[in-house]
Amino acid sequence: MISLEKISFGYDGRTTLKELDLEVPAGSFHFLTGPSGAGKTTLLKLLHLEHRPDTGRIGLFGEDIQPADPRQRTRLRRRIGVVFQDFRLIEHMSVSDNIALPLRLQGKPMATHGDDVIELVQWVGLTERADALPRTLSAGEKQRAAIARAVITSPELIIADEPTGNIDAEMGMRILRLLVELNRLGKTVMVATHDLGLIRAAKSLVSARTLRLSEGRLMQAASDL
Amino acid sequence: MAALRAMAVRLGLVADVDGGPPIVPPSGWSAWLTTLTACAMAFLALLTIAAGLAAGGLAEDWQADLAEAATLRLPASTDAATLERVIDQLSATPGIASARALDPGEQAALLEPWLGRGARLADLPLPVLVDLRIEGSGPDVPALEANLGLVTPGAVYDDHAGVRAPLGRAAEEVRRIALAGTVLVVLAAAGMVALAARASLAANAELVRIVRLIGGEDAFITRAFVGRIVRRTALGAIAGAALGAGALAALPVGGLSTALAPVLLPGPGGLAALAAVVALGFVAVGWGAARATLRVTLREMQ
Repeated sequence: MISLEKISFGYDGRTTLKELDLEVPAGSFHFLTGPSGAGKTTLLKLLHLEHRPDTGRIGLFGEDIQPADPRQRTRLRRRIGVVFQDFRLIEHMSVSDNIALPLRLQGKPMATHGDDVIELVQWVGLTERADALPRTLSAGEKQRAAIARAVITSPELIIADEPTGNIDAEMGMRILRLLVELNRLGKTVMVATHDLGLIRAAKSLVSARTLRLSEGRLMQAASDL
Repeated sequence: MAALRAMAVRLGLVADVDGGPPIVPPSGWSAWLTTLTACAMAFLALLTIAAGLAAGGLAEDWQADLAEAATLRLPASTDAATLERVIDQLSATPGIASARALDPGEQAALLEPWLGRGARLADLPLPVLVDLRIEGSGPDVPALEANLGLVTPGAVYDDHAGVRAPLGRAAEEVRRIALAGTVLVVLAAAGMVALAARASLAANAELVRIVRLIGGEDAFITRAFVGRIVRRTALGAIAGAALGAGALAALPVGGLSTALAPVLLPGPGGLAALAAVVALGFVAVGWGAARATLRVTLREMQ
């Protein structure tokens, strides 16, 4: 599913990621942890093609993404659902319109996919807020809307960056259960978080591998997390 | 109908084809600047084209009138019997439809701008003027002059070439100036649309980034922005062209010679057609400029 070979990446001459190697099989659940500034978000940005690595090779769905032109990158992005750390909901669109947007971008008319959106809005518990604009939502509601938008097209890979940041523990567990449920549906899930409590809580729900990023290098996290 | 709609979708002329809300957010009062500028440009373009057409048409009309007429100047000493013989000879000449001597009143009217009303023309040695109506390619001038010379030495045949040529050049110049003016207005409109497109993308850079990251193609983004810009341009262009046509239609032509009015101003149908051409032209230019700018700018934003 994901294959990283000697990936390095830096900002303004400062190397953030150093020669990372990683294999993520399809259908797996991975946590990516590490201190703030360790490069978790950067690694996820490389995986959903927001950045290009300085060196090394990234394979996604069996394709080498380095030579991909914009059209190919779009095609690959459509197979990935991303929950951004800052949600990145479109402010002038309602919750349900934000959730439906990836369908529109793929040319799937609302006339035939409206029911999917309603079901998903219900699944993430936002039925009452379906017509609300993002600025009126709480952080937890935005997070759930972002998750719904990430999965509306049923992507093979779901990447979530700090999906429980800025929300209370109860809401965090609710979001974790959503991600676990998606993994049980066969989706590959990669979650970046520095919330070790979340990772511990997940152990009872799913068989997850935890990777730790430290000083730009990737290592298997201790089993007693 | 479905094919037309599909084409409009592909060209980005139809908004929100999938029934969802607009991707591009409303941009407030500044959006009206595009409409207002397009309105002013279309108004100016219509007036420029109309002025060019009218001036060129007028010059052509005069030129045509002059081409159908000629003047024969006879010495002031020509007596009535000689004049009659000359008229008979002219009337029998192939290429001349009719020949008529100007009466003293007509001559006085011709000279009034220079000599003033009531000048005593009888005291002046004025040539006798014969107005000729030309048919076909006109008479064989050298032969005519030779024949006339036998009857009235000093007769001069004037086919108005000296006036027609400058009028022709003037008509051509006026057309060229009108064309240059129109091209400048159209280029300014294209520039305005390009600036609006770039500003719109810059103002929505984050939106563009999000749409790309969740699987949007640049073609989709281009269509969304082109649609917005073209609709604003079209609205302005239609209003500007209609205002221009209205202003021309409301010109006080009553004071003009009834012969000139139709040349200066097309009728209601002509004005409507001109307004439609200007509005459609602006939509086409707006679409092309917006699309090209967006594609280039999106590539820069990769």
